[in-house]
Amino acid sequence: MERLLAVWIETLSEEKADGSSLRDYLEVLDALTILCPFTEPVRLGLFVLPVRGPSRFFGGEEALLDTVRQSVCDILGYEPSLGVADGLFCAELAAHAGVVVAPGATESFRRGQPLSVLARKDLTTTCRRLGLRSLGAFADLERARVAERFSSAVLELHRVARGECDELKGQRDGRLAARIRNLRGDDGLGEEQIGFFGQRGAGDDRAQTAAYRVRSRLGVDAVMVASLRGGRVPEDRATLVPFGSPLNRVDDVAPWPGQLRAPAPAMTLQHRVTVQLHDESGQEIRMGSRGLLSAPPASLLFSSQVRRGVTWHAGPWPLVERWWAAPRRRAHLQVLLATGEAVLLVTEFARWWVVGIYD
Amino acid sequence: MLVQAQPGTGGLSLALSLVTEASTLGHWVAVVGVDDPGVVAIADLGVDLRRVLFVPRPRGAWAESAADLLDGVDLLVVRPPSRVAHGVARRLMDRVRERGTVLIALCEPGAPWPLPVDLSFDIVNAQWTTSSRLDARYLTVRVGGRGEAQRGGEHVVVLPNRRGRAAAS
Repeated sequence: MERLLAVWIETLSEEKADGSSLRDYLEVLDALTILCPFTEPVRLGLFVLPVRGPSRFFGGEEALLDTVRQSVCDILGYEPSLGVADGLFCAELAAHAGVVVAPGATESFRRGQPLSVLARKDLTTTCRRLGLRSLGAFADLERARVAERFSSAVLELHRVARGECDELKGQRDGRLAARIRNLRGDDGLGEEQIGFFGQRGAGDDRAQTAAYRVRSRLGVDAVMVASLRGGRVPEDRATLVPFGSPLNRVDDVAPWPGQLRAPAPAMTLQHRVTVQLHDESGQEIRMGSRGLLSAPPASLLFSSQVRRGVTWHAGPWPLVERWWAAPRRRAHLQVLLATGEAVLLVTEFARWWVVGIYD
Repeated sequence: MLVQAQPGTGGLSLALSLVTEASTLGHWVAVVGVDDPGVVAIADLGVDLRRVLFVPRPRGAWAESAADLLDGVDLLVVRPPSRVAHGVARRLMDRVRERGTVLIALCEPGAPWPLPVDLSFDIVNAQWTTSSRLDARYLTVRVGGRGEAQRGGEHVVVLPNRRGRAAAS
């Protein structure tokens, strides 16, 4: 879990009739974004930012806390409550208490919290009668025992209490990002989706009418429109969104070093298909840490037990992305099957998937 | 128009390449029944994505969706999920004639389009050329149909080429 700094400003957490909370919140957000571009508005009154990078930049955690405190104080005139811990859930609790949890101590910090932080009255009451008062005691219950007595929502809380999941459901405000965009005035909702140099012809209207008719027949997400965004591999670059929803057009002009070159697969699978890649002797093939395959692939085995011979392959092309934060290591491989079909495979966590078919 | 090919041998690319020219001229295209369209490949072919409507999973109502869309778009690519009934094909083709649109059906040889068409393309062979990556695919296409197309013959096209486009061989 990533070590996070949570900034808690209680006075901004309540909506006010004049909408001043959101405006002030936005002002603080802008100030914090200057300090760290990865500052995340979680919900009204609460921000989190990663600690690792900024604390190196500002010269340690103490210095980072001071800088954040000062910049919030400059705007609002009073100090926020700051807390540092691993994961969103604990970071927020630390901020409420105003404590900096030492690295590695998040586990014991979480276990020591009272059950009321999960904000479920029935759970708190039942557990208190059982003599369980802290999150740690609740986490020590077997999962099956919890499932016997409580609903699936409580099972989620149990995972949070155990540290298997680092945020509560509802801890983030899903609509906040849209409200902020709205307030800034760069809300895309009113934008016209289709059009050529701002003009609309009769053909555009006809197509739109037909699309609406199909949509009313099959449901809102039946008709899709596509756009491209930046990325290195086809499945990242393609965006399919339901017709009528605002398109988030990111111009595809920036260079993407390491981009998988054309031709791209004519089918990009939305739900990638799990496969196994075997060598001559039937051993599973792995990609090593140096980006080399353990052996040349000889056959591809689908979960339906269909086996296809591999006649040729190219790659793997490893991609190591976001190595500075949450690293993601994957690699792509083109293979030609004995049937003449070409497919695009991806490997991650020592598993293989088909992500594209060159139909 | 009809494109007939075994799955995975380039039928989808061929059907989509047929609409690129019209798409660049500002015509609307709809793609029905292609459940996982490769958006990057379609853009590489030269199709203007701003005027493409996808109906990836029309479930049982592919024919109705296609009929609805024929009223609104200029070209329609449809991949029927199963064998097409005679009556359904008849109705669709009547509507195509009435509206003056283009219907491109993508079928497998095992479940062919039940009616004669103006122009048909059968992919009889697909061969990839490779270097350090997939380079290009040479498709051998048998042309058939009515009128001029009746003379038929086999042609080899490169689809996709190194830039993801269609080219003459």
